[in-house]
Amino acid sequence: MISTTPPAISVTDLRKSYPLPGAGWGFGSQTAKQHVALDGITFELRQGERLAYLGPNGAGKTTMIRCLSGRTQADSGTIELMGQRVQRSSPRHMLGLVPQEIALYVDLTTRENLFAFGRFYGLRGSELQRQVEWALQWTGLADRGDELVGTFSGGMKRRINLACGVLHEPEVLLLDEPSVGVDPQSRERIFVMLDQLSDRGTSILLTTHHLDEAESQCDRIVIADHGRVVAAGTFEELLQQTIGIDRVVRIQLDQPLRGEGNEPFATTGLALTVRPGESTVTAKVSEIAVGLPRLIEAVGAADYCVVDVEVQSPTLHHVFLHLTGRELRD
Amino acid sequence: MIWKVIEIHVRRLRHNRVEWLLTFVVPIAFFSVFAWIFTHGVGTTPKVKVALVNAADVQAADVQAGSADDSVPASEAFQRCQQVLDHLAESEGLRVMKGTPPATGLDRKAAETMVRRGVATIAVVIDWEGNRFTADLLNDSSDQVASQVVSALVTQAMMGDAMPSAAAPISAKNNEPPTDTHTRQANPEFSQFVRKVAAESASQSPPDASFTAAPAFAPPQIEVVNILGQGKSNPVISVYAAGIAVMFLLFNASTGGGVLLEERENQTLERLLATQMTMDQLLLGKWFYLTLLGCVQVTVMFLWAQLVFGLDLLGHLDGFAIMTMATAAAAASFGLFLATLCRTRGQLGGLSVIAILTMSALGGSMVPRYVMSESLQRAGLWTFNAWALDGYDKVFWRELPVAELGPQLTVLMAAAFGLLVAARVLAIRWETA
Repeated sequence: MISTTPPAISVTDLRKSYPLPGAGWGFGSQTAKQHVALDGITFELRQGERLAYLGPNGAGKTTMIRCLSGRTQADSGTIELMGQRVQRSSPRHMLGLVPQEIALYVDLTTRENLFAFGRFYGLRGSELQRQVEWALQWTGLADRGDELVGTFSGGMKRRINLACGVLHEPEVLLLDEPSVGVDPQSRERIFVMLDQLSDRGTSILLTTHHLDEAESQCDRIVIADHGRVVAAGTFEELLQQTIGIDRVVRIQLDQPLRGEGNEPFATTGLALTVRPGESTVTAKVSEIAVGLPRLIEAVGAADYCVVDVEVQSPTLHHVFLHLTGRELRD
Repeated sequence: MIWKVIEIHVRRLRHNRVEWLLTFVVPIAFFSVFAWIFTHGVGTTPKVKVALVNAADVQAADVQAGSADDSVPASEAFQRCQQVLDHLAESEGLRVMKGTPPATGLDRKAAETMVRRGVATIAVVIDWEGNRFTADLLNDSSDQVASQVVSALVTQAMMGDAMPSAAAPISAKNNEPPTDTHTRQANPEFSQFVRKVAAESASQSPPDASFTAAPAFAPPQIEVVNILGQGKSNPVISVYAAGIAVMFLLFNASTGGGVLLEERENQTLERLLATQMTMDQLLLGKWFYLTLLGCVQVTVMFLWAQLVFGLDLLGHLDGFAIMTMATAAAAASFGLFLATLCRTRGQLGGLSVIAILTMSALGGSMVPRYVMSESLQRAGLWTFNAWALDGYDKVFWRELPVAELGPQLTVLMAAAFGLLVAARVLAIRWETA
């Protein structure tokens, strides 16, 4: 007998539109202009996985999170949570939500906030007490438990914001921009906290504009644009699907390229960009140990000297811009 | 630099409609409301609500009619008193209250009850004793104007048109009341009386002597009897304690309701609704809190009024408790309704100031409603300040039993329920957005 583990979240052909501002009061909706936030989104978050859900502004990330958390009803499509299809009114006790804003009571203490949100998630008695103490330790704020949250730094507030969403030990955690506006130290601390949740088996879906975080901290990446998924997979898979895994080698020459005498470059067998008048030669190299010596040899053979060599690995940033373009979205 | 600062603020003002409203429209609106109140610019001049009682006992007097007595026959005394009352009834400054059920002939006790219950502000009990009119004005001393106005009108009615010149037609065989023409004719006997008083006064004789010299025209005896407020240390304390308390109850409820918008703006509401909490629970939790806070707030204020100004809170604890709970509940619903009606805290701030100050002005929190014109008083009934103040007035001033608070409690609880339901309906948009 074969048992398959259902995905933590499975989204299939999810669609959601909003009436555009000024498009009327909803009467005669056939003719009212609609903004399509989700246009048939399909993806999966596997159990125990950390998935980055990326997209430019207006790509429908927040709408996606709201649909998953039950805060808005999709027009069509399905959402399954741990293999169970969910409706808007379905209980979501296995889900934790951490919004982008510091959604805390800043005029309460850390401990009071934790007790409040723990209670809202259905915890009570000794279990609530235990989870609050755990959260204080987890956030590194055990000694600041009785201080008002409003007096804390942005990083500390972010950590409490995160803790309030996981007190009930959800199996799936939705994080909307968890590290926005914090310093590198706090960001690192937040990802250490997320690692601890991952060790516990929590499946995490996060949205972020920090593409380096998505690349380095997440198992898989989904890139959405105009309400659709335009690419999904591991970073390497995305590279394969888009710009390829070749590294870009840029050699700075001692003089501008001449109009003639550049034939040695053609013998390297590399994809080169050589423009007379420019002082750089750019090449795409799949195996750097083989391609780079060959390129430097060709530079010497063409009577140029190498001033500097830059080897650039393809990043998620390049993949993202490749998929979504460079036009401003808002 | 200074100019730039000024310019920035002018530009910000230009973009902020709420601030425009608060800066320019609200002051004018309030000036207008108060101008209407004090100049009676809207509707009619406030009339004093009176209950009129003819105390001349016809039947008892008729028994004495056979006896040898110099006094005026009972039926004639009754007619004379009735003439005065009829004349008062025609006065433009008075509104005659008929009682419940409407009765043509009120007795003193019924009229006193009407004053105690606030149906009438003052009761005029006219009698003829010996050879002169007597009038007891059963007064509610919280209205400091009514007794003076009515006293003057009663004096005028007794001394003027309705004096015994009418004796001839009254004692006429038909026992019919005199015609208007009769009552408004010049009275030679009264003129003689006035001349005599003037002459006595000129010769510096004691006036009483003149009265005894002219027994047919003894001056009327008018006595103001404060049946409400007698012996109270400060008659207006309970009125103002309630007025101010209700107004600040509304402001606090509005501020409390604003927390809902704050939670929405910083996504706490989003987070709360993603937990096991429902919007029903959230609104009810806030409503109970605001109601409880309101009760404590009003209680603290009345305790202070008792400690410092001698208000008898402990003596009216049952009525106070029930009125405070109903008023605080209505105010809490009002605060949540306003909050759910608005999209931002800025909007709420502007709207609540306008709504609360208007309600407070019309409802009597700032100026007693009895000084307002009748149309403004009617308009005030659309505010629950007016109903709340009427309730507290019944408890502390009229000292009526709790059972008498029915209309006020009904309106306040209906407002509490209705506004809470409206708030819930408005909050649907936050659930489904």
